[in-house]
Amino acid sequence: MSGPEGPEAPRGRAEDAAARLLRWYPKAWRSRYGEEFTELLICDIGERPRSWPRTADVIRGGIVARLGDAGLCGCAPEAGPRVRASLASLACCVAVFLGFGGAMWSQLTIGWQWSEPDTAGVAVATFVTSGAMLAFAVLAVLAGLPVAWSVASCLARGRPPGGAARGLLGPSVLFLAGLAIVVAGGRHFGNGWPGTGGHPWARQGLVPGGVAAFSWASTLSVSSFWAHPAALAAFPAAELAWMALSPLAAACAVAGAVTVVRRAEFSPRILDFETRLGAAACVIMVVFLGGCCAWIADRAPGPGNLFHAGAIDVAGVAVMTVALAVARQARRQAARHARAVAR
Amino acid sequence: MPRRETSGGAPEPDHAKALAGFGRYAGPATLILASLADGAKHGYALTKDIESFAGVRLAPGTLYEALARLQAQGLIEPVESHDRRRPYRLTAVGAETLRAHLDAQRRVADLGLRRLAAGWGLT
Repeated sequence: MSGPEGPEAPRGRAEDAAARLLRWYPKAWRSRYGEEFTELLICDIGERPRSWPRTADVIRGGIVARLGDAGLCGCAPEAGPRVRASLASLACCVAVFLGFGGAMWSQLTIGWQWSEPDTAGVAVATFVTSGAMLAFAVLAVLAGLPVAWSVASCLARGRPPGGAARGLLGPSVLFLAGLAIVVAGGRHFGNGWPGTGGHPWARQGLVPGGVAAFSWASTLSVSSFWAHPAALAAFPAAELAWMALSPLAAACAVAGAVTVVRRAEFSPRILDFETRLGAAACVIMVVFLGGCCAWIADRAPGPGNLFHAGAIDVAGVAVMTVALAVARQARRQAARHARAVAR
Repeated sequence: MPRRETSGGAPEPDHAKALAGFGRYAGPATLILASLADGAKHGYALTKDIESFAGVRLAPGTLYEALARLQAQGLIEPVESHDRRRPYRLTAVGAETLRAHLDAQRRVADLGLRRLAAGWGLT
């Protein structure tokens, strides 16, 4: 081996600074490159104690490494984990998309419980988003079954030392607990909504009133009321608690599902199948987003202001657009690495 | 350091294109491969060597981004070391890739110099 030795430097301070910079990188990267990268940083800091370009470069490198760890960019020797990371990121994006999309869809469908829209834009938006929601539900079942089967098989085989079942039980429980809270809370608070469920006109809606009520209740936290504390204070305490708790429960469910997907072992066929479903999900997201844009562009509040699109809906479209862009990138990476797995 | 005898003919297309896939990392990647061509080096040694022969100081983040990509592509590999500073060396594929890439660069440089000499009298 050739090469110069690093200069002598106040090592303690340099080590501290290097340790701080290293935290920008993800855990997996740190465990692989952490020691050697720290040594390089210590030598570099010894030579140039203060350097903003170095700090900026390390931060940029850390962000790129984190994006790579999330399966959104970069290349890796092992394609299997990369596909799983990309699929997990894709699932995360779909969840965020549905969080905001569900809130917008519920406003349209609940409005239709009371009165049919009086403009073509709102009617088309409701039909399009309802069709997309149905497609999302079918995709969720198709995507969930192979994953559930693989995870159940892993768990049933027990936990051999270093086996695939290791670390699956906790995130599975987290997912189920989060999902159970969202479903139970959504059902409970959905039943309390005066405009749906037991309303005498419920049958005139485009979708069953219970479904609309559940979508409304489970996305209650996506609300512009957060910006108006005085109005928020008039809400019942239980409803306020649900508005704060439901996103946490949803986040737990998503985090559990994402961890399971990243840790479980899947056959190349399942990875390929899930990647194709991811592509289908991206198409449906585009369709759904188109429906939402048609609604907002229509600018028609409808009878009784039922279909009024507010600032929260515009913000929702912006978030959904970002989620769609990231999901498409994750799908590209998943497809790329899935081909490598198949080979 | 692993070496492989080459036929001396035209480079294989895969090798010629391998570094093209690195995009904006192709510059650091070429510098790293060129530095490793004369033996294994760890990160700091690579930085100093590249600075000495190319006049460019690769920042730590950029260096390890390129090292990770090169390793993932199988162009370099880590050397067993008890030191915290892990050295890297060129693989046979990496050596082929570097040769093909530098050949292509040399052809461009030769052509440019010939045209400068003919058109501008610059030699």
